[in-house]
Amino acid sequence: MLMALVACKPSVKKENSKFTVVTTTTMITDLVKVLGGDAIEVKGIMGAGVDPHLYKASEGDVTKLSSADLIIYNGLHLEGKLVDVFEKMNQIGKETIALGDFLAHDQIINSELFASSHDPHIWFSINNWQTITEKLMLSLIKADPENTAIYQKNGKSYLEELETLKIEMNTIITTLPKEKRILVTAHDAFSYFGKEFGFEVVGLQGLSTATEAGVKDVQRISEFIITNKIKAIFVESSVPKRTVEALQASVQSKGHQVNIGGQLFSDALGDPLKETGKYIGMYRYNVNTIVHALK
Amino acid sequence: MSNAQIEIQLILSLVAVACALPGVFLVLRKMALISDAISHSILPGIVVGFFITHDLASPLLILMATLTGVLTVVLVEYIQKTGLVKEDTAIGLVFPSLFSLGVILIARNAGDVHLDVDAVLLGEVAFAPFDRWMYNGMDMGPKSLWMMGGILTMTITLLSLFYKELKVATFDAGLAASLGFAPMAIHYGLMTVSSVTTVGAFDAIGAILVVAFMIVPAACVYLLTNNLKKLLIFSSLLGIFASISGYWLAHAMDTSIAGTIATVLGLIFFLVYLFAPNRGYISQWYKEKQQKTEVALLVFLLHLANHEDEMERNSNHLQEHINWSHQLARKVLKLANQNNMIEIENEIISLTPKGLEFTEQAISYITDNKNSELEGIKQNYFLFRG
Repeated sequence: MLMALVACKPSVKKENSKFTVVTTTTMITDLVKVLGGDAIEVKGIMGAGVDPHLYKASEGDVTKLSSADLIIYNGLHLEGKLVDVFEKMNQIGKETIALGDFLAHDQIINSELFASSHDPHIWFSINNWQTITEKLMLSLIKADPENTAIYQKNGKSYLEELETLKIEMNTIITTLPKEKRILVTAHDAFSYFGKEFGFEVVGLQGLSTATEAGVKDVQRISEFIITNKIKAIFVESSVPKRTVEALQASVQSKGHQVNIGGQLFSDALGDPLKETGKYIGMYRYNVNTIVHALK
Repeated sequence: MSNAQIEIQLILSLVAVACALPGVFLVLRKMALISDAISHSILPGIVVGFFITHDLASPLLILMATLTGVLTVVLVEYIQKTGLVKEDTAIGLVFPSLFSLGVILIARNAGDVHLDVDAVLLGEVAFAPFDRWMYNGMDMGPKSLWMMGGILTMTITLLSLFYKELKVATFDAGLAASLGFAPMAIHYGLMTVSSVTTVGAFDAIGAILVVAFMIVPAACVYLLTNNLKKLLIFSSLLGIFASISGYWLAHAMDTSIAGTIATVLGLIFFLVYLFAPNRGYISQWYKEKQQKTEVALLVFLLHLANHEDEMERNSNHLQEHINWSHQLARKVLKLANQNNMIEIENEIISLTPKGLEFTEQAISYITDNKNSELEGIKQNYFLFRG
């Protein structure tokens, strides 16, 4: 964490040009746009519905990255090999910030088997996102002191919006009885969400995209669905729905019924022009979809 | 042009040459798909490397990937040497097994880690200029430039040292053995070089483009020449040309660099396939057509030689007798006339002395079953071709 803050020395700006920030995932693009308003030129390299893990660069990214005053990424290996590249960019004088570095150890979920590996889906905890917003605001002020007032004002009001969102989400989720709070999805993206709102989270597929759900996994989870009388399971916007459909078929073959509760946004936001293209809208949509389907 | 853009083109050109050189031998040995196989078979190496280091960014993972790549080619080479299955089957036997082994290892032991070939190894050339080698605080340039430069130097050194041996072992393993060249050692060596190049190139530019660089230039140039030296030189040049033109096309369209270059390579192959002077589609089609006319001419001359009867030699009844279309009859008549094989008097066709001589020779070759000699007399007698 300290490292990331120290790395953010004020950078020399070109005359008459805006402070340029390059971001990776749609969640980060949204956050920086909110904080920077008109003061920052934000260039996101990943579009809506893109799996950050499998992102394929285009030629324009080269120029975007070379011309950036600051690069902000998720880290914790979410962006695959790109994370290594960003980490090394500090050496050549490019300033980069990994949002994962803003979080304390107890805010990050570790792999059960390998302590050095972490779950990168940190944005699904609103608490985490608040910490990140606050620290990113400070980093932006350090990197671009001229616009301190703007960052402070935007940061403050966004933190309040996130607080309101947290209360609103809590109210909705309380309407769902505790024993019904079981979330079955395509891959392990919702652990942070589960931890924050008391959901048991079951991912059909592991974190890696190379492995696919095994037959035994499907059997085990379909038994689990039947014993716990789970009403619905969910597909994700950036993961194929095939495996979830196989799970549904497996439950049906045992004479039970489970619905596909809808599509959740996991590794990317939706269409930037819609409400789900923003972090808050996405969160609201996900929670409403989950609660509605499980009731 | 920015520095990053120059560096990307340099890296691409280096990888193109480094892949094209072993690629020529792989295509000749019908092992072209080995690079694609390696992109899958290295997974268990990466997984085991991760189990040892618990670190996704450790260089040991790349080293283990390289070793698994070498293991892949050794297994393929061994299975193929048994002679029980063909080259492509040998490749198909090895890489799915190794890949699946990797998948099982992940599923059983590391289900909650982002562990796969994409995350660990496969690079993206667009980001290569930002991954630099710093030595004592000095910027030495992009790392992939050094790595691929090193691999290319190794390949060129080995190639020039063992050029003769490679050439003989590739085209005639039996002869190589009798000359004391140990074709086995040469083959294993070649495959190891290919494997190291492939893994290094994956790290620099990703999988698909490496496969394209290995196969397409060699396959294109192979349609144009059989000469090994020319194959090596022109495959390399073609790879460089595709890299630079593909890069600028990607720049114009703001799209994936690797994808665009691979597409350019595909288009180049299509053009070469159409227009190659000897083995190309158009040239083959033209040759076939020419051969048909030549056969028709021969049939016609034989007909004339066999029939004394003037009725049979009337130019107006010709097409009925030999069962030809009007068009073909006219064409053959014209060709024979142009070559001074026949003369026409009052619509009666007869052979000239030259025509008679040609026909007699042709008959003797056909009855003696010396078809190859027929090509020879065509050369000697024909002034105009159809």
